[in-house]
Amino acid sequence: MSLKRSELQINLATNIVIISVSMLFATLFMGYAIYRTSATVWPPMGISRISLVLPSLSTVVLFISSFFCYRVSKNIRKVNFPNAHRNLNLTIVFGVGFLILQGLLWNQMKNTGIYVSSGIFASLNYAFTWIHFAHMVAGLVGLIYLKRVLKPETINLQTKTKSVENFWYFLEIVWIIMFVTLFVF
Amino acid sequence: MSGGYNEIHPEPTTFWSKYILSFDHKVIAKQFLWYGIFFLGVGGLMAILIRWTLANPGIPFPVLGNLLFPASGGVVPPDTYSMLFTMHGTIMIFYAITPILIGAFGNYCIPLMIGARDMAFPLLNMLSFWFAFLSGAVLLISFFVPLGAADGGWTSYPTLSTLIGSPGMGQTLWCVAIFLFGVSSTMGAVNYVTTVITLRAPGMGYFDMPLTIWGLWLTAILNAIFVPVLGAGVILLILDRVMGTTFFLAGASATSGSGDPVLFQHVFWIFGHPEVYILILPAWGIVSDLLSFFSRKPAFGAKATALSMTAVTVLSTLVYGHHMFTTQMSPLLTQSFMTLTMTISIPSAIFFANWLGTIWRGSIRFDSPMLFSLGVVFVFGLGGLTGLHLGTVTTDLYLHDTYFVVGHFHYTMAASVLLGGFAGIYFWFPKMFGRMMNETMAKIHFWGTMIPLNGIFFGMLIVGYGGMHRRIYNPFVYESLQRLIPVNNIITTSALLMGAFQLVFLYNFIASLLRGPKAESNPWQVGTLEWTIPSPPPHHNYDVIPVVKCGPHELGNPNLKTGRDFQYQTEELVEA
Repeated sequence: MSLKRSELQINLATNIVIISVSMLFATLFMGYAIYRTSATVWPPMGISRISLVLPSLSTVVLFISSFFCYRVSKNIRKVNFPNAHRNLNLTIVFGVGFLILQGLLWNQMKNTGIYVSSGIFASLNYAFTWIHFAHMVAGLVGLIYLKRVLKPETINLQTKTKSVENFWYFLEIVWIIMFVTLFVF
Repeated sequence: MSGGYNEIHPEPTTFWSKYILSFDHKVIAKQFLWYGIFFLGVGGLMAILIRWTLANPGIPFPVLGNLLFPASGGVVPPDTYSMLFTMHGTIMIFYAITPILIGAFGNYCIPLMIGARDMAFPLLNMLSFWFAFLSGAVLLISFFVPLGAADGGWTSYPTLSTLIGSPGMGQTLWCVAIFLFGVSSTMGAVNYVTTVITLRAPGMGYFDMPLTIWGLWLTAILNAIFVPVLGAGVILLILDRVMGTTFFLAGASATSGSGDPVLFQHVFWIFGHPEVYILILPAWGIVSDLLSFFSRKPAFGAKATALSMTAVTVLSTLVYGHHMFTTQMSPLLTQSFMTLTMTISIPSAIFFANWLGTIWRGSIRFDSPMLFSLGVVFVFGLGGLTGLHLGTVTTDLYLHDTYFVVGHFHYTMAASVLLGGFAGIYFWFPKMFGRMMNETMAKIHFWGTMIPLNGIFFGMLIVGYGGMHRRIYNPFVYESLQRLIPVNNIITTSALLMGAFQLVFLYNFIASLLRGPKAESNPWQVGTLEWTIPSPPPHHNYDVIPVVKCGPHELGNPNLKTGRDFQYQTEELVEA
């Protein structure tokens, strides 16, 4: 009974955290919508569009990371801990890869003359990716925590895995929305 | 530890684990209480400085003036005046009311009143306090940086809050402090919502929860949803100030590209209007319970009260635009927001009528918690009614940014919440500290607060209606406002009186803590779960998790054969 309750608590808390963080990103996207719809030209005159290569690569890398993350909980359900560890390592590696790609993206933006202070277009691109980056770091901390507790005797292991996994998926969804809104259109 | 199995935690043995880094919800509640009382004092002193300046422009503030403002000979300088009203609002809302009403009562009451041994996540609970502590420290540090603390108003509208309006570090630290406080509030909200849903004692349905818990629970839901909205706003403001982005810079203030200062207002009020209810819902809950307890009869329409509070919670998310009628909003939108705002009157009127129904023909005991609760009924009535003028477009256009607004929101957010907070402190003090407060001093404190409080806030309504704008250092340079000097003097005298009477509370609080008479387990003779255990409760609250068999307001039943006029929630319901 009490184990079930603690599982419910962890699930509930994770969902509340995801709702809270969703509200933060929703606010950012609301701002984006206002700036975007009130602009006559987008990107503003004199600013070049950001190349899609690095954002697309980031999307693919994050997708692969999420795929391995999905495999982790599957492995745990089947009590296959060696595979769970391997897939978790891969999730983390691809997650770190995503962060590196973000660094490259900022460098590329700078090299093409899009500086932080270059106006609202640059503000949106830098700030949104920074804020998402910060959440990705938090997600990675969750994955590293999971790595530490990934052993059969851990209480509520499946629930904890599911929680970290859901947060990771959530960040991927946010990135996909950012990819489409900031970079594609 | 953080799993929360509702099992008995081992009792801490060291000073640090017991009092500083405690996981115990009761200790964390007391930490929040001390924190809130400290900031109440700081914010209160600022209020006195503001009022002194308005009543006596150019005259040094007595005693403390030369110490605080030596360069101006003890007179509050104009730039400091802006900092004072900014930080007074910020401190009172985020650092005094929130910690006391939500941090202290939430932490103390939720587990005890629902029959749990602690919060669902005790570690998160501890972190929530220390994030709040860090936030408070950052805010206080901001007074000592070059150019001083934030001075763009508690709403921090750009461009006042951008580098153009506030070039110093103070505004940046304000944003950081608010963000950290938001993290703390969100942590608390996660805990409160989860605890109420998962750790209620067996037999306790949602409508068997005391209305205090309803208020705190709904507050936590609003916190979880809307605090991150402000979080996003202040992050963007920090980036504008520190990194050079241009989210809120427009026109000549933006060197390139163009942001939108009004967007911050939207973001602020999407959070800010629910924030009003975040602050007041716990007070409503406490008052709804206390009116029943001290009238010795069941809460009239308790379910309707709970549902009305829920309806207000939902509606509070849809009305923020009434704060922005003067921003050239489309008339279609202003009318929509006005209609939705007026709709809040319906559930508000329901629970207000229920409060009156509860005390109607009750055997009222005028103990201090009841006096303060009745005070809330009165001041919230006034605050609510004056809100109608501001929710209506036509009158708001005239009254916007006047002292009428200041009077209105002080009646609702300050007076109601402050009196509700005092009601809660007087009511749960015996349970918290195992000692009784002095009742005579409590009553002196009540009248010494209630009468000047109305002198202050009703006076503000009058001068606001007379056309006096808020946030002006010396409004009386305008000849048309000089006729309002006498009313302003009454307001300031009332403020000084009210401040003085808070010393009675402080003395009573500390003296009772040290040598007040020992409290029985149930000094107020009520039936909610926390009164079934000793005062103060043991570390683990309940030896055996209680089983709930009836509601929290079973009082005054003539068929009771126990010699008491109330039932504990653990007793089988005796039909009336």
